[in-house]
Amino acid sequence: MTVTRLALRLSYRGALVVALVAGGMSGLVAGTYRTTVGALAGSELRALAENPAIRVLFGPPLALDDPGGFTVWRTGTAVGVVVAAWALLTATRLTRGEEDTGRAELLLGGRLTHTGLAGRALAVVSGGVLVAGAAVALGMVAGGADTAGAVVHAAGVAGTGLTFAAAGALAGQVMPSRAGASGTAVAALGVALLARMLADGTERLAWLGWVTPFGLVARSAPFAGDRVGPLAVLAVPPVLLAAAVLVAGRHRDLGQGRLRRRSARAPRLALLGSVTGFAVRRAVGPTLGWTVGVAGYLLFVGSLVGEIVRFLDENRRFADLAAGAGFTGLGTPAGFAAAMFGVVSIPAGLFAASRIAAATADETARRSTPLLALPLSRTRHLTTEVAVTVAATVALLAVAGAAFSAGSGLPLGAALAGTLTTAPVALLSLGAAALAHGWAPRAVLAVGALPTAGGFLLHTAAPGWLATVSPYAHLAAVPADPPNWPAAAAMTVVAAALAGLGVAGYRRRDLLP
Amino acid sequence: MSTPAIRASGLSKRFGAVLAVDDLSLRVEPGEVFGFLGPNGAGKSTTIRMLLGLARPSAGTARIFDDPASDVRRAHRHLAYVPADVALWPTLTGAEVLELLGRVGPGTDREYRAELVRRFALDVDRPARTYSTGNRQKVALVAAFATRAPLLVLDEPTSGLDPLMEREFRRCVAEARERGQAVFLSSHQLTEVEAVCDRVGILRAGRLVEIAGIAELRRLRRTVVEVSYRDTPPSLVDVPGVVAVEPLAPQRVRFTLSGPPGPALRALSDGDPTAVSMREPALAEIFLEYYGEDR
Repeated sequence: MTVTRLALRLSYRGALVVALVAGGMSGLVAGTYRTTVGALAGSELRALAENPAIRVLFGPPLALDDPGGFTVWRTGTAVGVVVAAWALLTATRLTRGEEDTGRAELLLGGRLTHTGLAGRALAVVSGGVLVAGAAVALGMVAGGADTAGAVVHAAGVAGTGLTFAAAGALAGQVMPSRAGASGTAVAALGVALLARMLADGTERLAWLGWVTPFGLVARSAPFAGDRVGPLAVLAVPPVLLAAAVLVAGRHRDLGQGRLRRRSARAPRLALLGSVTGFAVRRAVGPTLGWTVGVAGYLLFVGSLVGEIVRFLDENRRFADLAAGAGFTGLGTPAGFAAAMFGVVSIPAGLFAASRIAAATADETARRSTPLLALPLSRTRHLTTEVAVTVAATVALLAVAGAAFSAGSGLPLGAALAGTLTTAPVALLSLGAAALAHGWAPRAVLAVGALPTAGGFLLHTAAPGWLATVSPYAHLAAVPADPPNWPAAAAMTVVAAALAGLGVAGYRRRDLLP
Repeated sequence: MSTPAIRASGLSKRFGAVLAVDDLSLRVEPGEVFGFLGPNGAGKSTTIRMLLGLARPSAGTARIFDDPASDVRRAHRHLAYVPADVALWPTLTGAEVLELLGRVGPGTDREYRAELVRRFALDVDRPARTYSTGNRQKVALVAAFATRAPLLVLDEPTSGLDPLMEREFRRCVAEARERGQAVFLSSHQLTEVEAVCDRVGILRAGRLVEIAGIAELRRLRRTVVEVSYRDTPPSLVDVPGVVAVEPLAPQRVRFTLSGPPGPALRALSDGDPTAVSMREPALAEIFLEYYGEDR
């Protein structure tokens, strides 16, 4: 009981935020449906539903003439991803993460077993997922959607979340480290999304829709039939995965996954000669992982550009709709590319923030202490981390641009200009994370996510003047428009100032813990 | 007079309402082995974190070979540090950690380091995540002893070591002194401090209550003796060095012994003992008796 309470304490804040975001997004879009979408002509709806690229990217549009149906199409995938990502990251944190820090040893010294610990963590995360699901249903009903469809949609979101909570807990039992467990579970989420895209894009692979949670959710057709069959199928994977968690946890040592690393190896001394080298060495793996993910997505989206542009060109009403949601000029290849590049600054910013959060975690776990006992000033330490992260972020954006160019045929120079234009926005996230490292080291990732993830939400959902606070209001749609140099310079200066304040705070505070 | 290796004056650290370290002043000379003795929670680690500039003092200053402790780029050129709870990057092997600390640090004697790895029987080819507490401590100790820094700051460095390795550790401290390095050794074990230190500072509830030479420290030395006897209890009244006699059970008595043990042993053998056990009391018990209950 106490262990369950501990897991609750370690996760309830995130759960509340996720529930608020999921419920808020759903409610907001449903509530503003009448004013934004209005009445669409039937022919336009049919064109939308039949366009393969639209189906691939956003899922098959059903019941767009209904506030609930439109909300499902517009926000369903995003809400599902937010809930699933929270669920899997929290599940790996509460299981493998607690073992990595050695804290679980204290608990498991008592009567509790590994499987008991993993089971309780999974139960708590699943509870959080159900709360988020309830928030989605409440938000949509409050926004004026039908109750039946809202419940079907919310059940789909919850089922997706439960699946990935169990997948995260399983990865926590199998993989030898928290980073490995989180990475594997995130990759599974990516594969599930990709499977849904393939299922909706190609007739031959339509069966894939029955093996991915996102496909099952689409087939449950909220507000367009409310089918229960796919939801029943969706109830199976969480149960199977949870059973696998219990089996996998039974025969392993604490602190070890089912997969073990080789225990001895020859030393690899590259990049251990300097503080900068060591920062690069620690950044290489995560940078590669994030770059492959982001560039892969842009390559895929790039290959769909032709279809989407043709569709939007023929259906002006949707281009206008998209403009209302912050995507202007989608009807041209360059405009569409610019919109995608703007979106890519979100993962780039989150990546940058996660690198600073990793440095904070090293400090909390006392791993940085041996380094900071050397003749290395705090200023130099944080500045090095920030500088290496700037380079890594720019590299990530450049590779992503090249990938989009390869997929879409957009000239390489234009694509690079487009992704690199968004660098100042990503750097704002880096600066905010560095600021938090100095002054609020327990909230580095959350503060770091504000300029990009928060700014993007603000830009697309907030009314009037409030939206102009977002950095995205000042981001030029390169390559469709020329770069907004003054804004880019201003954002870079603000990012540098935030980082500078962070260094000042880091200099004057005590080391954690 | 030469520049002191450590000079702290009026160091205080407050965490909210708790005064963890209270107006602490001390001076450690170059080449001296200084014991920093105190029970758990007395403020030893907090003091060391301030000496290293890892925590900022609420009041007072500290200097390392005359460089301010807060200017770590200069101060840390003079020292090597072994933390109480050593954490290492889990994916780096022992050899890689030693390489990093050696190359970024203030200069390392690689030959001596290789010898230390052998003497501490450290398997440097395993990643740090597979190391026990003792092995992580060994990595940090090898890195520190192998430096040419004139000051070694060691925070409870033997807490995870077995007795054989503890003996090796004491040899290393002696070798460091021979090379002219000063050692600041924090410990909660009287015997360890007695064995290797020249001078001892005694910390209690955040206050430095005394700085003493090793000879004076012997006053603190106590042995708890428990005796079982057949029929007649040993006569312990007015035996020099025997205090706090208390019967434990029928035919069993406990007393505390301080000073030379001869008279007490004679008194015991005059009786009819069936078993004798002796142990060193914990530092907290000694302090309680010696300094009383005050805080």
